[in-house]
Amino acid sequence: MADRLGELARRFTGLLGSDSVITDPVRLRTYECDGLTVHRTTPGLVVLPTTAEQIAAVVTECVRTRTPYVARGSGTGLSGGALPRGDGVLIVTTRMRRVLEIDVVGRRAVVEPGVTNLAITQAALPHGYYYAPDPSSQQVCSIGGNLAENSGGAHCLKYGFTVNHVLAAEIVTPDGEIVTLDALDPGYDLLGAFVGSEGTLGIATKTTVRLTRLPEKVKTLLAAFESTEAGGRAVSAVIGAGIVPAAIEMMDALAIEAAEASVRCEYPPGAGAVLIVELDGPEEEVAAEYAQVVDLCSEAFEIRIAADDVERAAIWKGRKSAFAAVGRISPAYIVQDGVVPRTALPEVLARIDALSAEYGCRVANVFHAGDGNLHPLVLFDDADPRAGARAEELSGAILDLCVRHGGSITGEHGVGVDKSRYMPRMFSEDDLDAMHRLRCAFDPWNLCNPGKIFPTPRLCGEVPGVRRGVHPLVASGEAELW
Amino acid sequence: MSGIDPELIDDCVHCGFCLPACPTYLLWGEEMDSPRGRINLMEQHVGGVPITPEMAGHFDACLGCMACVPVCPSGVRYDLLIEQTRAEVERSYRRPPWERALRTLVFHLFPYPRRLRLLRGPLRLYQHPGLRRRIRPLLPAPVAAMSELVPPIRPRIRLPRVVRARGERRAVVGMLTGCVQDAFFAEVNSATARVLAMEGCDVIIPGAQGCCGALSEHSGRAEEAARFSDRLGEVFTRAGVDAVVVNAAGCGSSLKEGSPLRERAAPLAFHDLTEFLMELGPRAERHPLPLSVAYHDACHLAHAQGITAQPRTLLRQIPGLTLREIPSGQTCCGSAGTYNLFQPDAARELGDLKAANVRSTGVDLLVSGNPGCSLQIASALSRAGVRLPVAHTAQVLDASLRGLSRKALRA
Amino acid sequence: MVTADRGLFAALSRVCPDVREATEDDAITGVIPSWTAAPATAAEAAALMRLAAHHDLAVTARGAGTKLDWGNPPRRADLLVDLGNLDGILEHQAGDLVVRVQPGVRLDPLARILAEQGQQLALDDPVGGATVGGTISTAVCGPRRLRYGAPRDLLIGVTTVLADGTITRSGGKVIKNVAGYDLGKLFTGAFGTLGLVVEAVFRLHPLPAACAWLILNPADRATAVSAMRTLLHSQAAPSAIEWDSAQGPPEVAALFEGGAAESRAAALRRSLGDGRTSDRPPPWWGTHPDGTLIEVRFPVGRFSEVLGEIDEAARDHAVAARTRGGFGLLHVGVSEDPADAPDTAAFIMRIRGNLAALGGVVIVRRAAGAVRDRVDVWGPGGAVRLMRRVKERFDPQGLLSPGRLVGGV
Repeated sequence: MADRLGELARRFTGLLGSDSVITDPVRLRTYECDGLTVHRTTPGLVVLPTTAEQIAAVVTECVRTRTPYVARGSGTGLSGGALPRGDGVLIVTTRMRRVLEIDVVGRRAVVEPGVTNLAITQAALPHGYYYAPDPSSQQVCSIGGNLAENSGGAHCLKYGFTVNHVLAAEIVTPDGEIVTLDALDPGYDLLGAFVGSEGTLGIATKTTVRLTRLPEKVKTLLAAFESTEAGGRAVSAVIGAGIVPAAIEMMDALAIEAAEASVRCEYPPGAGAVLIVELDGPEEEVAAEYAQVVDLCSEAFEIRIAADDVERAAIWKGRKSAFAAVGRISPAYIVQDGVVPRTALPEVLARIDALSAEYGCRVANVFHAGDGNLHPLVLFDDADPRAGARAEELSGAILDLCVRHGGSITGEHGVGVDKSRYMPRMFSEDDLDAMHRLRCAFDPWNLCNPGKIFPTPRLCGEVPGVRRGVHPLVASGEAELW
Repeated sequence: MSGIDPELIDDCVHCGFCLPACPTYLLWGEEMDSPRGRINLMEQHVGGVPITPEMAGHFDACLGCMACVPVCPSGVRYDLLIEQTRAEVERSYRRPPWERALRTLVFHLFPYPRRLRLLRGPLRLYQHPGLRRRIRPLLPAPVAAMSELVPPIRPRIRLPRVVRARGERRAVVGMLTGCVQDAFFAEVNSATARVLAMEGCDVIIPGAQGCCGALSEHSGRAEEAARFSDRLGEVFTRAGVDAVVVNAAGCGSSLKEGSPLRERAAPLAFHDLTEFLMELGPRAERHPLPLSVAYHDACHLAHAQGITAQPRTLLRQIPGLTLREIPSGQTCCGSAGTYNLFQPDAARELGDLKAANVRSTGVDLLVSGNPGCSLQIASALSRAGVRLPVAHTAQVLDASLRGLSRKALRA
Repeated sequence: MVTADRGLFAALSRVCPDVREATEDDAITGVIPSWTAAPATAAEAAALMRLAAHHDLAVTARGAGTKLDWGNPPRRADLLVDLGNLDGILEHQAGDLVVRVQPGVRLDPLARILAEQGQQLALDDPVGGATVGGTISTAVCGPRRLRYGAPRDLLIGVTTVLADGTITRSGGKVIKNVAGYDLGKLFTGAFGTLGLVVEAVFRLHPLPAACAWLILNPADRATAVSAMRTLLHSQAAPSAIEWDSAQGPPEVAALFEGGAAESRAAALRRSLGDGRTSDRPPPWWGTHPDGTLIEVRFPVGRFSEVLGEIDEAARDHAVAARTRGGFGLLHVGVSEDPADAPDTAAFIMRIRGNLAALGGVVIVRRAAGAVRDRVDVWGPGGAVRLMRRVKERFDPQGLLSPGRLVGGV
């Protein structure tokens, strides 16, 4: 293996130049994990390409030598989707960070994969446009990673996910070919299937995304409730009234405490839950909806309205930093990501409370209330060897709860390496087999980010049942082979 | 036993929010040249991996700009970590001979205002274009880089020991004269003293202050730093002041931090000039200065001391002056204390980026609160062929308070 | 019917009682299959597929049959699986803004039922009478795609029967979900070549409090395009902006949705200095032009150039081209007189060639054999090689509507 990697390193140095190939063990180890630190593997080799052609050449070499490879952007993923392979190559796209085009008339931007999510918005803002999907890590996460994970964000309730905003992607396929998947092309929606495939179907090298017009008006309010139940009732009332807010986010008392400790967001003291509701759109619509929302939050003991962008940012600050902020109130914690049908929220939250008591682990809840996407943060002390296992169990029990209520084991963080073992709780063997067919169509050698998504290693084998020899229709001239 | 605190390392949850704030990550896009990556390297070392040349290289490449500190949601004290790490590198890693030689040179020169002043003569000669052309190719690269940064040498200004308040006295303050500031930007010091006096302060300027220790501190030479700051503390204590105004960002942040080693400077309260003036409140009349200026946030003011609003407010209070923001203003200019001496290539790249961003504002004047930044950006601007004057905040205030014309600042 | 066939017929009837010999009415782009079977349950559909795989029968799926004449004729067609009997609305959780339906449900009645709860499945039905399954398989969309997206954007879960009879599911019942591959995307626009959709889950939207249309009659194409651009980039956020030249002089209409729809439309009317507002769409809204139907897809920013290219090509080839649609998607109706087929074909090749340079794609939807004989209805397609590989994995025997899709897939 070392020989093979050594030979690859020499080849890659020839292809990419020596400052784009990392072989030093100390340096390699800085790439041992992404945003999820429980899984760590030092990559065998790291390359930092700058063009699609370089990536294609690297992939081709990997295929030739049957070496597994993993693509990585900013390394902020929370499911270990970019966990490297010790016997493989890590392809890092952080040097591909040019915004190639901002086309205002065509409402689109063309960017390289290492461009950060927020950089697209920053490039488009002077023209009155922005890039709508806004994961909490938007200032650092790369668009390549967003494609892999089909990233959402607080505003995806109204505006949709990455997949709804990608118009085309140039990818390097797992056999080293550069292919463009374009939403305009007829046939299977390969672009749609590629987005969210967690880096297992190829590596995006250039992406065309839709830009969204800045809304005429944005109104953000923070409502403080005695309890999450009361907050939940307000959410139901808002959705029931036919309002689709740009975002509707909830944090419980413990999450507020963490955010307070981290960024001093100064949410109303004593709140059992805060709800952040953001409305945007044409001024008249927002004004009407806003009045309705305030009415529907009648149980809130305090409502604050952001007067300007600074206050709006202040309201969001607590929410956006909530995950990392929990580090201030607990030595260690697990960020969970599950989804339940929104109407099941009250029941599920109550059950999480009960589980929390049962396992003796505190759970902070941060969630996208509008679409039932929960982020329970399971707190534990890693100094206690048994606490980690207990937290892990509780975290799994929460996922079971989600599946039981017809939900999902992940709303936005992805399956990666972390949740592959939970996949059978949501999907049958047949379901997973069908998904695997897609994977085999793209990557018959199972080299492109192997070990992710699927719970057990699966081989592709030959295409089953394909006719050997000449098809009768081809022989008769009725059809031709392509 | 490593001198790096594992608990501080443990605070990092690897979220990566620091990456876009880091100037070297911006330049090279590599994990090990980001705060998160460097913390991983620290973790490796604490776990028993000896400091390799590669590792030391990535620590050395850190500017110490602290831009990563305020953006960290987990509150990782990278400032403490990198300081401990630098000390650890000095302690347990033997640098190659030429690196050691350069370091010896720098640390025997810069913290000593008198030695720096002795250089003024030769440098003035060197700045003669004909001579420079002939001598420069003979200099080692780092020395050449150093020589490029030097501003035009101006006549030395000797400040009196005491500058009395104009009008009713509102405060008595000490004033730090600094090393580089004193040798190459003496007019900044005199402007500072005048502004303080015009705002009603008796300004005490003891002689033989020496260095504050910041340069050594930020390079892992903690004991040397303590020696300097102890001496400084004694000088000011003897002068009978308990508040000291600082007009160099790096010195200010280092003195404010305090450290167990530096006991004698501890009882003194150090204030950045702008912070002090804002607390004092404006009294002297501001005369109009019809200028458009961009204010450059020195890292050791903005990130280390959290001072961003005060200088802007002071500038905005000047009638006729318009203030513009520099795009990507939070990114370090590459000066970073001794950085442009030890890492000239990276410093130049960052300087060029900063110069381009400054240029895009189209202002008449760049204002900065730190002599190192001023040197760095001015030299990057002149490399790019841009003629844009650079002034210290104190100089702009001085000009306004004295009713000088805008030309006074555009020299 | 030969003996072997009679045996097969009996076998088919055993797994699916509602089976009969196919007639001309069951033709798929002119190809008449042997049998038509209408399963009553997903299990019956799966049994049919297993049987078909065992006996090497080629299968085509049908919903309401409104777009069965789109695409290539299948290379083989033995069994038409009519999903019209699978027409149950299985679950509508209004509070979750989600509906779970069987593929045979028609969009019209579904809309009426959802409206009772103030909700909608925001998909247009330009051909009329379409089922959910057919809408997914053809990925057809209409004016409101601007705001709500295409079927792929609203489909959040799908249950399918694969060629070998396996029933599989992907996605789920929640809007936000990234667990596993989203196979629903693959089945959207697949024309039944990967499997039968037997259940679909869609995200819903609240019905807008009011709708208003701003209708303009610009003097010429340039004025029309400029007005449409103003609408597109306006913060008044229209839900749809469409153009029509199929009725005669060009007309532009924009849909506004929401409590203040009328006032937003009126504000734009004032700033454009033209038009009228109405609470009803113009009669052509959301329909396709008559005649041979050509679909043109293109990047939003190329609208004006695409219209220009179509006009120019129509003039050069003496074709009367009637266009309807908006940013990114236009439909062109031309004469269906067989005598005009050569001109029509030349027109299609011309715009296909020239629009490719603008990133445009030209697909022939509805056309007589005389046109189909002269042009590939799909054109060259995009990542066809990858599509073929997907097809091989999902349908290795090549039984599902073989050849109906782009690239002979």
